[in-house]
Amino acid sequence: MNLRLQSSWLLEAVSEVGTVDSVFFPVIHRFSALNWLSRRDFALTVNAVTASQAMILRAWLDGQNGSFSASNLQKFNQQIRNPLDLSMNPFRAWKDRWFDRQQLDYLFYWREAAFEIEEETQREIFWSAVYQIMSCWLSNRAVEMQNLCQPDELMGLILNRHGEFIRGREAKISISNCSLDELAAKEACLTVFPLMFADEETPETTLQVIFSAWQSGHDDLEHARRELKVALRKYQISIERPNDYYTFTRLSANSQITAIVWSGADLPPTLYEQELVMPLQKAFAGRYSRSRLLMKAVDRSSDSFDYQLLLY
Amino acid sequence: MLITLFNAILIIVITWFAYLYFDLREKAMPAHERYSQLLRGVSSIVDRLEGYDKAHSSEIAGLSALIGEASGLNNEQLQSLNAAAMLHDIGELLLPRSIMKSNKRLEGDDLELLRTHTLLGELHLKSQIDGLDEVPSLIRWHHERWDGLGYPDNLKGEEIPVAARIIALADAISAMNTRRSYRNRQFARAEDIVAEVTRLSGMQFDPQLVKNWLAIGSPLECKPK
Repeated sequence: MNLRLQSSWLLEAVSEVGTVDSVFFPVIHRFSALNWLSRRDFALTVNAVTASQAMILRAWLDGQNGSFSASNLQKFNQQIRNPLDLSMNPFRAWKDRWFDRQQLDYLFYWREAAFEIEEETQREIFWSAVYQIMSCWLSNRAVEMQNLCQPDELMGLILNRHGEFIRGREAKISISNCSLDELAAKEACLTVFPLMFADEETPETTLQVIFSAWQSGHDDLEHARRELKVALRKYQISIERPNDYYTFTRLSANSQITAIVWSGADLPPTLYEQELVMPLQKAFAGRYSRSRLLMKAVDRSSDSFDYQLLLY
Repeated sequence: MLITLFNAILIIVITWFAYLYFDLREKAMPAHERYSQLLRGVSSIVDRLEGYDKAHSSEIAGLSALIGEASGLNNEQLQSLNAAAMLHDIGELLLPRSIMKSNKRLEGDDLELLRTHTLLGELHLKSQIDGLDEVPSLIRWHHERWDGLGYPDNLKGEEIPVAARIIALADAISAMNTRRSYRNRQFARAEDIVAEVTRLSGMQFDPQLVKNWLAIGSPLECKPK
């Protein structure tokens, strides 16, 4: 299920019940969803449940380490003129399932080449650009669309885009990589929980699984998938059965306001109110006395609405 | 004298028939047609402000309708798509004139200010007009990119409603084919536009929509709206 985090809408709603100078995300579904917030002047604390997602957050969200240097780009983004030996490629099992031969060569080359980059922060930017490249290749592959951009050209384009993306960061950003069991509640004006539903795998989840395996240097997607599943086990919820909101209440224990945001589809808003909003209000009743539910239409023909529940 | 009287009567009769014709036509005009005319009127003001050399919003609405139909959108979705495409840049009316009249490519704070037009458009329409359903949301998201690097919310892939993805594609195609106050037309030939859009498939644009657009046949032609 998709999740549309509308940060300006969230802050607009929250500003009616309190002043915000610090925001805490115990989990984030995708790095770029925080771009708007990272351009505001406040403290932004974000936790990633996997090491690969934490790396992407450091490279693309924090931005303190600047962009990828032109000299590194020239040195480490070479064009592969002759096919590499496939038997040496640890990702060869993905051939024709996820990537073609040329793409696999580049995935192998980029991963190995990055070890030669001296500064770790530069290496993380280079590796995390591969996440965007994989995303492009996988979505074109899903509809059998030809890739006109050569891989090295694509890498150049994305690293250039990274430089533009990190400009204008105002927030003081802290990024952690903890399991939800180990993560402690933070002192924050606002704690935000982007809701994730335990249903079928989205293309973004598949991408995260593939990237995590690639970064670890193996082709075992089941291992990477299991790792992600375990990390989110106590966080993902279901609309069909009762949920345990202990993780939510524990992580927002030091927060003045808690916001729970999600995107609904195929189900009417009244169902979300009964099955989700009321149990959440009950779970947080000991801490917050008031709540507000806000909704926004996205596509009425498919009952798509975006929701945010504020508890304060 | 008789001729003058005859002429006068003739003029009165013609005027009366003309009045009847226009009165009847207005009464007979369906509500949706009047609605479309109103949208065209409003969007032409935005086009003028943006310095386009043609009816940019109508072009985008026409192209969006073609892609929307090719992508299997239902009537309700197509209606919202049309309204959002016609009004997609309406938030620019609320920006300082100096930004809109600039002959330079905008950078830094000015660029950030320009980018707020998506939020301003949504907020203003929502606060002023009831019953527009998802149209304000589509206006909010018409600059999102398939790869999550657009604005204002950095939505990615299918998180972006299909109608907003269509407007983003149509807007980019139209922009590539249009002269602006700060630059000449980016691509003079249709095949260059096709190559550029295909090159950006999976990054800026939804690959499925690019495929649907290419399948239309004459990709730069659009229905007048």
